[in-house]
Amino acid sequence: MSEYEFSETAYTKIIFHAAKYPHQAVNGLLLAEKKPKGSVVQIIDAIPLFHQCLQVTPMAEIALMQIDSYADNEGLVIAGYYAAPENFYDNQIEKAPAAKIADKIQENFKNACFAIVDNKLVTLEHNRSALQVYSYSNDRWSKAKHWLTQSSQTLEGVSLLLKRGAMRDVIDFDNHLDNPENDWTNQFLNQSLKDLQKLY
Amino acid sequence: MSLNYEEMSWSDVRDQFRKWREESGRHSDEVVQLWVAVLEDKVQKTGNERHLILEQVIVAALDTARFDIATKCTKQLNEEFPGSLRVMKFKAMRLEALEQYDSAIEVLDAIIEKDETNAAPRKRKIAIMKARGLRLDAIKELNAYLKKFMSDQEAWQELCNLYMGEGEYGKAAFCMEEVLLHNPHSHLIHQRLAEIRYTMGGLENIEIARTYYSQAIKLNPHNLRALYGLFLCCSYLANSKAVSSKRKESQKLAQWALEQASIHTANHTTIKNNEKLIASLDSAFGGLEIKSN
Repeated sequence: MSEYEFSETAYTKIIFHAAKYPHQAVNGLLLAEKKPKGSVVQIIDAIPLFHQCLQVTPMAEIALMQIDSYADNEGLVIAGYYAAPENFYDNQIEKAPAAKIADKIQENFKNACFAIVDNKLVTLEHNRSALQVYSYSNDRWSKAKHWLTQSSQTLEGVSLLLKRGAMRDVIDFDNHLDNPENDWTNQFLNQSLKDLQKLY
Repeated sequence: MSLNYEEMSWSDVRDQFRKWREESGRHSDEVVQLWVAVLEDKVQKTGNERHLILEQVIVAALDTARFDIATKCTKQLNEEFPGSLRVMKFKAMRLEALEQYDSAIEVLDAIIEKDETNAAPRKRKIAIMKARGLRLDAIKELNAYLKKFMSDQEAWQELCNLYMGEGEYGKAAFCMEEVLLHNPHSHLIHQRLAEIRYTMGGLENIEIARTYYSQAIKLNPHNLRALYGLFLCCSYLANSKAVSSKRKESQKLAQWALEQASIHTANHTTIKNNEKLIASLDSAFGGLEIKSN
């Protein structure tokens, strides 16, 4: 059974992506270091994928290949999948959209995780992680332990940024396909999050 | 896109609202903020457009749980149009937003009883089923609705999405074809149909997908999704058991599509080494060709 630690950047991007499209289901990928230190998988970054139509596969294939290549250059590996369901109350893994992607990632990365955003916990007064994280063991996804690095600062920061509407800055692969000027690697956001962390 | 609220005059806001209405975009958060910041005090100046704006604000306010604003605007409309079924619908929507679904359905049923040809309350009832997580019931009801209101494109599109949620891609494709009949020149609908066919898989479906993707590119040569899609379809066909002339042709087309996608991206992107990322697609999908020969 693996355990997972989410970086500030990864967690913030997941929540922003869900908050940017509150009326739609969203999904994305999680990246981790190639060589894990110990038994904990360190989720370093998140790449938001889609918000428009999650059930069709062609663009998912394109995105996965490009992100795999990107991760490789950065010394990272695709280590998980996240999804936020469309319906406010759906937080079960069975109702997560495009769950097949997670299964496929797990085939390539044994300790992959499947994170679901629990919509009810995404608030402006964020006081605990709004994720439910699952890992794969005995042929099924089962609940796994996860935590955030710098938990209290991250949660405080996310709440503050959500109030300011900063979630509009996150860019997913759908935005990129609409207009290639949009950078799905989110360099701009990554940098501003880094600058912000320095303030703490 | 971020808007600078302080620098917008009431007429800018009006134009922005109008644009969102025409695109039927859902910018609830921004609509409410702009309403409070700029337009609320000046709404009298907008003339007859005022009613449309009020409706837009009500929906946005319910969407963002600003019941105070929604109630205020509904009251204004109600004073002007007492007993209007259109205003009654907003009362039902308020109950819906409060998750008092049974009372909302009562109001909607009352509207339908008074005016059987009114499509809006019937659609709201289907939306309530969706909110309750009853997707199969929503599909059943939407099918019944479309028997009466056959030319409602929005409804066909929604049915398509519901079917995809259930993994019924064949039926979803049928709904999308229905939408295509109404908009034969929309590249986005060709593209969506191609995506559904590609997801269904199999030689026959992928050939159909290729045709739809090609048409989408013909209608809009900048459609990046269609270019990538065409590349995927052609790579698949180039590795299929088709006759060798067909495979060669597919391979050429796949190369062309990927090149186009790469050029379109390269001209705009700020991502480092983007061309390498795109080239990785070629080695993953196109590279298989060597083995099969």
